[in-house]
Amino acid sequence: MKKKNHLLKILLVCALLAQIFCFSQAFAEITLTYSDWQLSQDIWGQSLREAIADFERLNPGIKVTTEPVALGQRDVKFTTAIRGGKGPDVFALDANPVKQYIKNRWVKDLTPFIEKEGGKEWLSDFYPVTLMPVTENDKVYGVPKNVVAMVLVYNSDLFGNAGVSSPPKTWDDFRAISKKLTMATKSGGPIDQWGATLVLAKACFDLRFSVVLRGFGGDFLTPDWKHSALNSPEAKAAFNFVVDSINKDKTMPPGVAQVDCNGARRLLAHKKVAMIFGTMWTITEVSGMNKDLHGWKVLEMAPVPQAPDAKSKIRSTLYQKSIFMNPNTKNAEAAWKLIKFLTEKKQMEKWFVDNNMLSCRMSVNEGFGPILQSKYAAVVTNEIQNHAAFLPLIPQWPECLEAFRQNLQAAVAGTKTPDQALMDAHNQIESILSR
Amino acid sequence: MSIKEHNKGYLFILPALLFLVVILGFPAVAAVLQSFNIMWVSEPSFNTKSYVRLLGDAEFRASVLNTVIFVGSTVGFHLLIGLAVALLLNLEIKNKHFFRVVAILPWTVPDVIGGLIWRFMFDTLPGIVNAVLLKTGLVADPIDWLGNPSLAFPCVIFAEIWRGYPYVMLILLAGLQAIPKDLYEAAEIDGASKMAGFFYITLPNLKFMIIIATILDIIWECRLFGMVYSMTGGGPGYSSQVLSLLTYKHYFIFFNSPYASAIAVVLALIMLLISIPYLRMTMQQEL
Repeated sequence: MKKKNHLLKILLVCALLAQIFCFSQAFAEITLTYSDWQLSQDIWGQSLREAIADFERLNPGIKVTTEPVALGQRDVKFTTAIRGGKGPDVFALDANPVKQYIKNRWVKDLTPFIEKEGGKEWLSDFYPVTLMPVTENDKVYGVPKNVVAMVLVYNSDLFGNAGVSSPPKTWDDFRAISKKLTMATKSGGPIDQWGATLVLAKACFDLRFSVVLRGFGGDFLTPDWKHSALNSPEAKAAFNFVVDSINKDKTMPPGVAQVDCNGARRLLAHKKVAMIFGTMWTITEVSGMNKDLHGWKVLEMAPVPQAPDAKSKIRSTLYQKSIFMNPNTKNAEAAWKLIKFLTEKKQMEKWFVDNNMLSCRMSVNEGFGPILQSKYAAVVTNEIQNHAAFLPLIPQWPECLEAFRQNLQAAVAGTKTPDQALMDAHNQIESILSR
Repeated sequence: MSIKEHNKGYLFILPALLFLVVILGFPAVAAVLQSFNIMWVSEPSFNTKSYVRLLGDAEFRASVLNTVIFVGSTVGFHLLIGLAVALLLNLEIKNKHFFRVVAILPWTVPDVIGGLIWRFMFDTLPGIVNAVLLKTGLVADPIDWLGNPSLAFPCVIFAEIWRGYPYVMLILLAGLQAIPKDLYEAAEIDGASKMAGFFYITLPNLKFMIIIATILDIIWECRLFGMVYSMTGGGPGYSSQVLSLLTYKHYFIFFNSPYASAIAVVLALIMLLISIPYLRMTMQQEL
């Protein structure tokens, strides 16, 4: 009898402990990790952290740890971690590497989550073009967040000083205005102001150079992305235009071959150049680099110049940031909640107010007051809707782009003639695509 | 059953051996398997495509040539400067400890940071090198140091010579300090000049250290990535691209892991060949 009592007591204690364990598990905090290169940048990072704090407040059971990553190291870090069965639960990518991530199954298929939210109807608020980079074989792997198109950003003060009244509409205009703006600001001194700068270094080359090619009516690849289009007369005209602007006209600053997007912004911020190719974020970042510039007042935007005889209406390139889920995540439901939160209408509006960035949601760009009143948004939205396209969304694209960039640099440095460099780039890209 | 006395030694080294197999052996085997498209690829199937592609790749050939030039130049200058500085620091001079600390300072700078510092110094517009040249009237226009293919690579080599010489210098200084002083005293009594002392005492006694320093420095410079990456990124074109950078590009930018692994395997084989004399020398000494 005594033995039976003991056994009963032990069983009761065990049951009680099991119940406490289950109870604590049910209320345990889930910890998600979120990684984004913009977390390491002052203004963007602050905005993201505020959004995440909001998410944690609205979802008391979920805690989010942020993991900043440098843009240049992003893919190194993500792909290595995901291959090793780890990595952030939720992360951001631009459109460039997405097809590789999908091909290698480094991102989770979000279709089942989207279906639960209403499927196509839930997606209908996003510009159809923004779903292209994140969709493969009818499966959706990411949720689009921000989209912008590249435009010409110029300093209206410097234009005024040089007697230029309007931004260039054609490449001939661009060349003539560049020559006018290239000058010595101190009489008798050396030239210390140039018309424009391009980005020829690796970082951000794709978005900035593609607009020149497209503005001339050309492109890197054929519309089906299966062949190089660099043997076209339009591509040749664009290529020669760049090489001549740098080497003959000298309307771009010395060392332009090493200028990256930050370098270009710095040159614009310090009035060393009057024009660069940029977009919504350019205003925020350039203004932050030099408060004395009064960027929000003097910087203006205009569409990318276009060759008068260009057959294609495409003259700009789309940039898109989307949010993805790691296939290794152990908290898929919570991760989806975070993705949904970061891409919802309210957060997109906040992102514009904080960072001057447009949304992938039509309802935000077409219905949010501050966006409708923004002179910059008006230019960029028009480009998004009518004149912009993504760069090739194929796994071989980074290699094709690098082959082109290396040959362009060789032409600028004079180690190859422009014709030879363009032909080499064409042949190399053909070889990459045929592999 | 007791373990035989001579087998106990193997038991003691077993944990270290296992550790080495896991830390070094596994990645090495994985890289070889990946280069044959067997492991960590989206569609595994054995093939030798990556190695075949290497044979016809002009960029790979250019990178091999650049690596040879880079390693040859940097190691050569490291030896010359390292030996000269080691000889100076071995003299009985005032504040020699201070000079020793100053001499090894470049070695304390991580290669990426060193690259960034030199990149800013060689910058065309705000760089200090052009500022000095323009101020002194040596040049009329700023020089595009890192944008000109014939200047960019020498600039990277120059920066790496600055950063890497203390490593060789330290090895040679240790060697110099181990040479018995009485050898020099005996030579002096016999009427030998300083130069004769250098050629007949210093150099022969340093021979072993010079070989070790050379081999280790070659291996180090073959693998060097950060300095080139942060200074030029391999450009302009691929004029300053070395094999480690090409491997990185294919692995993390083009996501072409089998090809990147094949390049890494070739580089590892080259370094293995270079390290054979070092292994033989150190093993012979231990025996």
